[in-house]
Formats: sequence, C-alpha cells, structure tokens
Amino acid sequence: MKEIARFHEASDRLSDTVARIRRTGRKIIGYPCSYAPEELIHAAGCHPLRLFASGHGIVQAENHLQSYCCSVVRGILEDRLAGRLDFLDGAVFPHTCDSMQRLSDIWRMNGRHGFFADLALPAKLNTPSSAAYMESVLARCKSDLETALKISITDDDLAASIALFNQIRTHLSVIHDFYSRHPGQIRGSDMNALVKGAMIMDRNEAAALLADVAASLRHMPVTDTPVKRVVLAGSVCDTPDLSDAIEAAGGAVVGDDLCTGQRWFDGRVDEVLPPLTALADRYRERAICPAKHAGLTTRADHLISLVNHTRAHGVLFVMLKFCDPHAFDYPYLKKCLDEKGIKSMALEMDDGHQNQGQFSTRIETFIHML
Amino acid sequence: MIFAGIDIGSNTAKAALIKDGTLMGTRVMLTGYHHLKAGTRVFGDVLVQAGLSRSDVSAIVSTGYGRASIDFADKAMTEILCHGAGAHFLNPDIRGVIDVGGQDSKAIALDDRGQVDNFAMNDKCAAGTGRFLEVMANALEVSLDRMGEVSLTADKPSKISSICTVFAESEVISMIARQEKRENIIAGIHAAAAARVGILAAKIRIQGPVMMTGGVAKNKGMKAALETQLNQPLIISPHCQETGAIGAAVLASRL
Repeated sequence: MKEIARFHEASDRLSDTVARIRRTGRKIIGYPCSYAPEELIHAAGCHPLRLFASGHGIVQAENHLQSYCCSVVRGILEDRLAGRLDFLDGAVFPHTCDSMQRLSDIWRMNGRHGFFADLALPAKLNTPSSAAYMESVLARCKSDLETALKISITDDDLAASIALFNQIRTHLSVIHDFYSRHPGQIRGSDMNALVKGAMIMDRNEAAALLADVAASLRHMPVTDTPVKRVVLAGSVCDTPDLSDAIEAAGGAVVGDDLCTGQRWFDGRVDEVLPPLTALADRYRERAICPAKHAGLTTRADHLISLVNHTRAHGVLFVMLKFCDPHAFDYPYLKKCLDEKGIKSMALEMDDGHQNQGQFSTRIETFIHML
Repeated sequence: MIFAGIDIGSNTAKAALIKDGTLMGTRVMLTGYHHLKAGTRVFGDVLVQAGLSRSDVSAIVSTGYGRASIDFADKAMTEILCHGAGAHFLNPDIRGVIDVGGQDSKAIALDDRGQVDNFAMNDKCAAGTGRFLEVMANALEVSLDRMGEVSLTADKPSKISSICTVFAESEVISMIARQEKRENIIAGIHAAAAARVGILAAKIRIQGPVMMTGGVAKNKGMKAALETQLNQPLIISPHCQETGAIGAAVLASRL
C-alpha cells in the first residue's frame, strides 16, 4: 500500500521529511516523550517532531551520560552532539524519568538550542490539584512559545490543532483495531511505521494518508489465521525486528501500552471543553507512564484490561536496559498478570540493537509457551 | 516409528534417534564453521551407528543456534523447548533444567508434562557459559576436561569479582601473577560462573528436581559449585550433552 510506504519513508529518510516540513514554513520542535503537548506546539505554527535515537554508535554522549542510562536517551544525545539534529529550531522536555531530565539539562548546556522548554509535569496525576497544576504547566508552555516566537496562540488555533491531532488518533485507532482483530492482515512492521511516521511527518499529510488507509481497510478481504496473540508492554520500542520475529514464530502483536504505541494515540482530547483544560485532562487521563503515578495498580489494571479486550494469549515486556521506572514496575506487573493466569516474559534490550540468535530464541520459545 | 533430533550448538553438533519412546543412539561432533555440513554429518553418523538410513526416519527437528541452517529438518525449534523435552524424556520427575552450553546458559521450569512453563537465559554476556570456562582454561593452561577434577582439590577458592569474561580473565591473570594455587583459582571461576547461572535460576524460582544439561554438566567442579549456589543436588544424565538433540527427537515425534 503506497500510503504505508510513505510512513516508512518518513522515518527512514528523515532529511527528506525535514525538507518537506520546512517547505510548510513551520519551525521544527523536537520532543523525546509522549507527554509533550504536540497540539500546543502545532498551534504555535511549529512542527512537533518525535525524537528517536538514530542508532549510530555512542561516542560523544559517553562524556555526559554513563552507560547505565538507557539507549534512547544516550542515542538522542549522541545525535544532538554529533550535529544530526541541527535542523531543530527547539526542543521540549517533559519532566518524566531521571535520565530524561538529565538529557534536558545536557541539551540546554551544550550548544545552540533555539526554543527550549522543560515541562515540570505533576508526578501524581489522579488528584484534583494535579488537574489545575497540569493546566498551569501547559499555560506556561503556551506563554513561553508565544514569547519566543513573538506570536499569539488563540483558542481557535489550539482548537484547530486539537481537532487535527484527534483525527490522527482516531484514524490510527481504527487501523489498529483492524490490525488487532485480524492478525496477519497488516504486518506489525507496517503498523509501527504508521505510528512512528505520524509522530514525525507533517501532520496534515499524516491525517490525510491515515484516513485513506483506514478507508481502504473497509474493503480489505479478511482471512483470519490462528496465531498467538501478544500484547507488548514497556516504554519505547523502536526495534523493527521485534514484530517480524513475533510473526515468524507464529504470533502477532494485538495491543500495547508503549510510549511509541497506543499510549500515544489512544483516547481523544475533548473538543468542547476550554482547550488547555481539555489538553490537561487528556495527558492526565491517558494510559500512564511508570514515571508518573495515578493509583497503586493503574498500570496493571490497564494491562489486564488490554489483554482481556484483545483476547491476548500473553504479554511480552519490552524492557529497555537501564530504564529504571519500567524495571521497578515489572515485578508488580508480573505478579498481577500471574495472579490472572496471564503468561508473560520480559525481553530486555537496547533500542534498535539485538543479538539476533538469542533474540529469536527467546521469542520463539515464548510464543510456543502460550 | 523412528524420530531424529539434531542440535547445532556453538561448539558441538549433536544428533539423537528415538524409537517407541526409547533412545536408539546419539552422536556428538565439533560444529565448525558450516552448520549444514555439521548437521548432515552428525545425522549421517548416528544413522550409520544405528544401522539405519534416512528413509527410516519419520520426522526430524533441528535445534540450537544453527537450527535454521538444517534445511532437511521438518521443523526448527528452540533449544529451550528441546532441553525441556529432553530432560523430561530422560527423567519425567524433572521440574527444573539448568542448561549451560557453549555460549549461553539457561534456567528452565517445566510442568508435569515436560512443557516449558518459564525460562531465563543469559544476555549477551558470556559469563557463566562454556565459553567463559574455555577462556579461563586457556589462561590457566589446564585442559577443559580436567578443570572439574582440579577444582575439587581446592582448599581456599579464589574470589573472582568481575562478571565480564574479559575482565575476569585479566583478574585471573593477576591471581596467577600472585601465585595463587591453580585449583583455588579454578574453584573460584566455577563459583563465579555458578553465581551467574544462579541468578537465572532465581529469576524463574526454579523447583526441584533439577537436571543439569549441556556439555558443561560434565564438569564436576561446575556441578558442585552450582549445587552449592542452588542449595540442591543436580541430576546429571550420561546424555547431558545430547539432551537438546534428544528433546528435538521427542518433539519430532509429536509433529
């Protein structure tokens, strides 16, 4: 499908993507985490671009971040220090894990950085005060953008951006629902490309292409084959080989709670409420990152509900090495899954780099166990 | 009906034949560079040994890191599944398997039917594997086969603090320079490797009876160190090295 190919290209040929965005006249603001309020950045006339580590070896970042920081943070810093992100006009860093906060500091203190914002998000997201606090953080970000860019962001601007991002989320949800209900009809690598591409490419283009993909599924003949249905749990998963390996072993990914997956595109921003209130609600109420808190068993409850909803046979934890928040959450999540009789396995890995032999051995065995 | 299993490991290639739930024979040879050639040869050898030909075999399962190279196998399955099936075939009471192979080590939990219930394997690091022991044997100028016996004479096992094979080797070289006794160093090496494997066993909360499989199970010093680490006796089959191939043959019988 040519639309899907465009999404693969968007991340595979980043310099071409950047050139296309430049032609729209938008400044490009990078962000490393799905708590970044993309709608605000977009409403400021800028392009929010999700940062992924390019996978080049770590050389300069070694001087700033020890090897016990995750490969995502070290990889993004390396890209920045090596000049591969010089096209950025700014960056926004949501306050999440320790490594992400240090990345923000090092970013700010090393080299030209254009627009820069730290979003000091609340840690607890389920209290009444966190709603007001989250909204004030977003208001501050809005004001910083307005001052830096010498613009004014109106409620209409924000409402238009919210509507556009809601369209993207809705189309992705429709496509993902089909992908989940009919494993094998859309390859996992293509689904990943759709989500990743939508975080990178021009959002108007993404919305239009995703609408076409979603529409084409209505006419797609469905021939379901029995597979082992797997839910992925974790933070960032930018390992294209993972879904291929799962599919080669007779499985299929049917859902996830990843920062680069459903956690990013599930749910919509209310279009009736005042825009900043609606944005604050959405970022507080979406599936939670373990660097935040919204109840003792919120993540486990969500994961179990995802497993039930997708009729998954098991959960594969994709754990980035040295990702403390997810590592701390894992024992309790596993215990909750065990209590429900849900099989799971933790696959620890570096973003984008695998020992192929061990990687496929683990996945094949896990799929066979289900 | 006769079924075959072929296990292409990083060091050795193994083949096994079973008939009506009975082991007919096994063969082991060095893998070398060419996986398919090694698989073809070790399978040919085990057939000759049993006085059979290829057409007598109903199904073949390949396993090990070279499993995908065996193009004449009916199916490739992971060594974790095969070591589990093999251990259950050799002793149906087994509930835990420690497989220490050439380049990785695994802890496997089995249910009462010999199905894999849970597993953990070492990561990229070679500490706690056969390769780790091989590197140390070279540094200490003792043959791999004798390491176990030598270590059992230790009076004060050395403490190896590094978990990385390369760093542990340099630590061992420092101990040699300090003229620490060879048997103590080897006993320390076994304890360090066993500690790594112990982490895997703890991850899956391994239950007994536990069988140790893989070529390293022949090393008595490593067995003793692991028994101390796990605080339980380990069952070692005479076919410890071929357990994966035997399990592959068992799984071939279920295709």
